[in-house]
Amino acid sequence: MSALLAAAHLAALLLLPFPLVGIVNRTRARFAGRKGPRLWQTFDDLRRLLGKRPVYSRATTVLFRAAPLVLLASTLLSGLFVPLLGAAPASFDYDFVLLAYLWGLGRLALVLAALDTGSSFEGMGASREAAYAALLEPALFLALGTLAAASGHASLAGLLEAGLRSPAEAVTGLGALVALAVLLQVEAGRVPIDDPSTHLELTMIHEVMILDHAGPDLAAVQYAAALKLTLCASLVAGLVDPLHGAGGAAAAAARLALTAAVAVAVGCAESLVARLRLKAVPQYLLVAGVAGAVALLATAWRQGGGQ
Amino acid sequence: MTPILTGAVTLLAGAVLALALRRNEHRAAAAIASQAVATALVLAGALPVLLHGGDERAALAWSYPVDVIAWHLDPLGAFFLAWSLPMTLAGTIYALGYLRPYFATRNAGVQFALLNVTALSFVMIYTLESAFAFLLGWEIAAVAAWLLVVWDYRNPRIRFAGFNYLVSTHVGLFVLLAAFMVMHSQTGSMDFQAFAPFLRAPGTLRDVTFVLLVTAFGLKSAFFPFHTWLPRAHSAAPAHVSALMSGVIHKAGLFGLLRVTLLLGTPEAWMGWYLVVFSACSAVVGVLYTTAQRDLKRLLGYSSTENVGLAGLGVGVGYLGLAWRQPALVALGFTGGILHVLNHALFKCLLFYAAGAVSRQAHTVDLERLGGLARRMPWSAALFLLAGLASAGLPPLNGFVSELLLYAGLLGPAAPPGVERSLLVLAAALLAFVGGVAALAIARAFGVVFLGAPRDPRVHCEGEVPASMRLPMLAHAAGVLALGLVPSLGLALVEHPAGLFLAALPGAAEGLPAALEPARLLGPVAAAGAGLVLLVAALAALRAWLLRGPPAPAGVTWGCGYGAPTPRMQYTGASFSAQLAGLFDAVLRLVRRDRLPEGPFPEKGGRVNTHCVDAVEQRMFEVFGEGDRLVTGAAHQIPVEPRFSLAAGLLALLVVVGLVVAGAGVLR
Repeated sequence: MSALLAAAHLAALLLLPFPLVGIVNRTRARFAGRKGPRLWQTFDDLRRLLGKRPVYSRATTVLFRAAPLVLLASTLLSGLFVPLLGAAPASFDYDFVLLAYLWGLGRLALVLAALDTGSSFEGMGASREAAYAALLEPALFLALGTLAAASGHASLAGLLEAGLRSPAEAVTGLGALVALAVLLQVEAGRVPIDDPSTHLELTMIHEVMILDHAGPDLAAVQYAAALKLTLCASLVAGLVDPLHGAGGAAAAAARLALTAAVAVAVGCAESLVARLRLKAVPQYLLVAGVAGAVALLATAWRQGGGQ
Repeated sequence: MTPILTGAVTLLAGAVLALALRRNEHRAAAAIASQAVATALVLAGALPVLLHGGDERAALAWSYPVDVIAWHLDPLGAFFLAWSLPMTLAGTIYALGYLRPYFATRNAGVQFALLNVTALSFVMIYTLESAFAFLLGWEIAAVAAWLLVVWDYRNPRIRFAGFNYLVSTHVGLFVLLAAFMVMHSQTGSMDFQAFAPFLRAPGTLRDVTFVLLVTAFGLKSAFFPFHTWLPRAHSAAPAHVSALMSGVIHKAGLFGLLRVTLLLGTPEAWMGWYLVVFSACSAVVGVLYTTAQRDLKRLLGYSSTENVGLAGLGVGVGYLGLAWRQPALVALGFTGGILHVLNHALFKCLLFYAAGAVSRQAHTVDLERLGGLARRMPWSAALFLLAGLASAGLPPLNGFVSELLLYAGLLGPAAPPGVERSLLVLAAALLAFVGGVAALAIARAFGVVFLGAPRDPRVHCEGEVPASMRLPMLAHAAGVLALGLVPSLGLALVEHPAGLFLAALPGAAEGLPAALEPARLLGPVAAAGAGLVLLVAALAALRAWLLRGPPAPAGVTWGCGYGAPTPRMQYTGASFSAQLAGLFDAVLRLVRRDRLPEGPFPEKGGRVNTHCVDAVEQRMFEVFGEGDRLVTGAAHQIPVEPRFSLAAGLLALLVVVGLVVAGAGVLR
């Protein structure tokens, strides 16, 4: 069973990013009155990139070539801890700390690659990416730490699947949900923080960092971004899943459907909300921190005897 | 005991030789050889105790007023000895390369002798248990560090930094003396073991002593807000001195704290919280300062404040575990804290050595003037990056191992549910913030110095540093990698030192499964580290296969359509951190000096100069300045105005009476 689960998880991890990005783009297209690209368009885009020969700037070093690999490897590895289908093949205590730091490693690799080009535009994107990540990190740990304190579990799968069943835990769950939703928007570079669909250098974060990447390198970076979107959407779906890791194929299918629903919600949010001015982004990130803090306070009050 | 004493004598002989010999090369050789012998001897004495446990005691008779020097080697002291001496040896080898350009003109013997004396002071501090001898070692370390800092004593800025350090470290010494005097007055002895009964009995005086000791040790280890001497000293000193001060010498403060913890028995919960808050503040403020510094070595100095904060956080969690009788918390807190001390020493020395390589080859460590050094000095760049990743706590390097243990302690189920657990979760969130900001700081430092194109054409880099400087760096890098990829290696080193604290817990037998808790948590981390390395290798192979054929063409960096970019247009260190620094401007005070171009057709060129000053130091100087003015003004008035003299006399009387009454109250 566990071998089967691992195989299914791996397949989902490797393939799910393509249709999920497709769903988000489709949703956006529908709002704009267009039909939108095929669901697997991203797959074809990346395959096309794999066949291309990159051009490297003379300013760059070996770091620039290694960074996309480190980013993709760390993101893929972190995908083993996320219960995409209701359970994770690699689940151990404090795996979420490892997940956060693996993402940190990938992010740092990309930031350094951007600085490696010596381009002021890419430096600008790198600076923003690093600053927003630093501001978001405490919100993530507040949310996940609160879930760990509330559920008594310490692994990502455990604290999502143990779930928050009683209505008394609703505030905790809601706070964590808000924090994870903001995490999705920042980590996957979505509106209202960032916009993956334009390359207007002065307004962007993630896209401007990868201006000089091309060919397989660009494919690795974009695949890693789609993977992050998938993992974050799966985390959000796991938090609201009413089945809570019931096991079996039906529960796994339900989890995938919920993940797709999260992608639709992301698409809706992107269509209905304008991108924030960059000055307002730290305040928006503060919302995530406050949501995490509210969840923590609710848990403290409940556990401290307030019931 | 014999091998370690022999080692100490060897060190002293080496110091004398380094002063007596005629040629700088021979002086360096004498220091390195004597330290190598002493290191081997000390390791021979200390490693068995460290790896298998044990407790060696001896007493040396001495003349009045010391009477007896108690000598005590336990796993804690052995742990600190086991890496302090080899790292000092590595620093001395590095110094040989670093100081070589001065060999023709200056006497480097003093530096080498002082490095030997520093190693000697470690042997004294980590093994002697008589307050008098301990303080002697403490003072030797402090004065030796001061003399090492002022190597370039003709520069008034460096003299000031050295003096600043000397004053700060002696303020710490006075506080430590006060604590020892309190303990001596209560026990009538100068032996640490005799202090234990007093420190175990709850009471106001015990609390006061604890606060005094934490203050003294905090000053030594540069905890916030006692860190103001540190960035100045670290940027002024030669690189090997900065590295040893930051990585090795100032760990004596944390050693003191841990030594006292063993004497303290069961601490009270407030002591744990005190340490947690104190350390969390250090970590947060320290890491914020690292984001805004222009001087690379100053930046690394602030990173020390951050990292001792992280280690202190572990010790604080351990205190809470002792107070709440939770063996798992004790094991995780102390293991994480002690391991982080070693990890920090490994990567921080490496960072300083790489910064020293930059300073020696490019003759500046000003971030805004450097750039593109990775092409000229690939070894130093790669090693700086490795240590930087470790300092940001990223897997699969050693910093992550200790940080994971800290997270496990903070987020674990051992804390009482409710307010206590929530406060620890909050501390974990702060730790996450520190990790994120540290990543930004290291990306900025590495990116601006080593990547991109050179920013200032006047800065000329002379290429890679000699082997004598690369060798110590490689040794440290090997440690960073080994402890990161094989966490059980680090755990084996701290198992017995951390076990001492578990044994202090009443009902030590129940602590046995808890002692295995760190190893259980780190098993998957080792697998993940190996998996990450393999995955990167596999992806690299895949990429090489995709890109087979003729080499990729080279072009220019895409300038977004702008055709004439210059290196001056690159993102600078200041602009990279501007966004974050703007959010925390209460702490990060930016001093700006500018002469802007005027008029529609400016004739004179303008310039802007920004510099991040230390808010604590600035405020301290302000208060001193104001207080000085106030006191001088009042003192002038006293002889002139009778009512001033009356008021001053009454005030003095009040203070004296108050002190007597308060003292009597405390002593009762």
